[in-house]
Amino acid sequence: MTDTATTVTEDGPGKPARPERAGKREVWLFYWAFSIFYTALSVGICLLGRATPPPRPDVDALQATAWFDQHQWGIQVGFVFLLVIAGGAAISNGMIGYFMMRMSSGRTLAYAYIASMGVGAIPGFQLLLVCWLTATFRPDREPRILYLLYDLGMLSYNGSLGCFTAAYTVMALAILYDKNRIFPKWFAYVTIWQIVTEIMATQMWLYNSGAFAWNGVITLYIAVVVFGVWIICFLALFRIAARRETAQTPALYEPEGAR
Amino acid sequence: MTTPDTATRTRPPTRGRRLPGDVDMWVMILGDLFIFGGYFVTYMVFRAVSTEEFTAAQRHLSVGIGVTNTVVLLTSSLFAALAVIAVREGALRNAQRLLWATGACGALFTLIKAYEWHAEISRGYTISDEFFSFYYVLTGVHLVHVAFGLIFLGVAVRELRNPRRRRPAIVEQSVLFWHMIDLLWVVIFALLYLMR
Amino acid sequence: MTTSTDRDFTKDKRTVLIVWAALSAATILAWLLTPGESQTATTLGKELVAAIVVLGLIKCRLIIHYFMEVRHAPRWLQATTDGWLVVLWLTLLIIYLV
Repeated sequence: MTDTATTVTEDGPGKPARPERAGKREVWLFYWAFSIFYTALSVGICLLGRATPPPRPDVDALQATAWFDQHQWGIQVGFVFLLVIAGGAAISNGMIGYFMMRMSSGRTLAYAYIASMGVGAIPGFQLLLVCWLTATFRPDREPRILYLLYDLGMLSYNGSLGCFTAAYTVMALAILYDKNRIFPKWFAYVTIWQIVTEIMATQMWLYNSGAFAWNGVITLYIAVVVFGVWIICFLALFRIAARRETAQTPALYEPEGAR
Repeated sequence: MTTPDTATRTRPPTRGRRLPGDVDMWVMILGDLFIFGGYFVTYMVFRAVSTEEFTAAQRHLSVGIGVTNTVVLLTSSLFAALAVIAVREGALRNAQRLLWATGACGALFTLIKAYEWHAEISRGYTISDEFFSFYYVLTGVHLVHVAFGLIFLGVAVRELRNPRRRRPAIVEQSVLFWHMIDLLWVVIFALLYLMR
Repeated sequence: MTTSTDRDFTKDKRTVLIVWAALSAATILAWLLTPGESQTATTLGKELVAAIVVLGLIKCRLIIHYFMEVRHAPRWLQATTDGWLVVLWLTLLIIYLV
């Protein structure tokens, strides 16, 4: 793969040297998979599983058990469905990684993003599903054990931050260093807000009520608004980036010396 | 090193209306202002619910330390603003020195804040008190921004040191962010220390 | 559309210095206005809080206009920052007073 004589740089005029791609249909396919996955995630988490907006953090064991009992069907239907499609997160991360690899900031950051998001999905997503599904499928267990699952699910879902802050940092860095202008620079700054709201979320481990509990104005609601802005901007920028891909856009994986 | 006739080379040769920095940095600043606005209003609402407790706790803060920190940060902003003018003049060496002074004031601010946190904690004012939980979170998230600001200042200094780069816009952007830190602190100072 | 001269730069520097002095003075003035820790009054008088709010608003506007150079910026930016300032401080004052 050191035969650089035949490789062409991305911006070079001699692009047609390589066989043409079929209009980047895959990119659009994955774009829609990404959008549908996030919609399904929102429906599953918010409407069926009731994790956002969250249940009260200041209840006792019996109230938590009653809450599981009350929302048993929603949690079971929604979270089993989400467990089945959980792999969609990988598609989303791969999609973002694809565009990050098109940046001039290098592949390492793209791999770092995929890896940290992949690890982050375990506490931030899977563990919530598993905890609450256990609680609703084993309702005969002791209330204090169900209570622990209630807390563990919520704290893991909202309070686990290390992987996400790393992923957002890597993404902001990649955008700021990128000279190909795959994503605009302001989106890097919007990503930095995400880091800040993730850091704020640490507070929910310390409080059972008030502005910093897991249903607090600062730790949750302002953070949710920021995340909403982020994901809307993200999907819009994705469309733009995907539309810019043409049949002439070189493939990522061949030939290796091209980038 | 520095050419005296850079006034024509640097970006703002006109005195008309122009956007300082770039649109991207203003997206960051305006967004941050609205997020912090949300935090401030939340604080005030919680304070209104239990005014007595908040007022009593606020009296344990030393206004003197707050004033010192405000003046330190205002001075850092002064250096930053002078650095931008120096870049426009083409006095790049001077601009670098001023940016270092800005960063030094930022570090001093952080040190004073750390001392204040230490003093409050050792006097037993921890997050078990609602006011102090707001105090630690608001000043803490502000300190995170100071850290970001110091990184941005470092980027600006690096830009000026490299003779092949020296884009004045980069300096303007990082200085804008620094002024935003100052701006937010002025509000935090009034909220936590004065309005009791 | 004239090029900036040395005179303009000197003027800019003087402006920035004056603004810094005004900001510091306002900070110390606010300090003098607030009663010390020893005083036992539960909350501050309404006039005093209004004065602190007005001082804070003026300080913020000075920083935005002179340090951040919004005074030379396009009108949309001036309108947005002024809107933020007025809405924020008014909301804070109203919540404090009610």
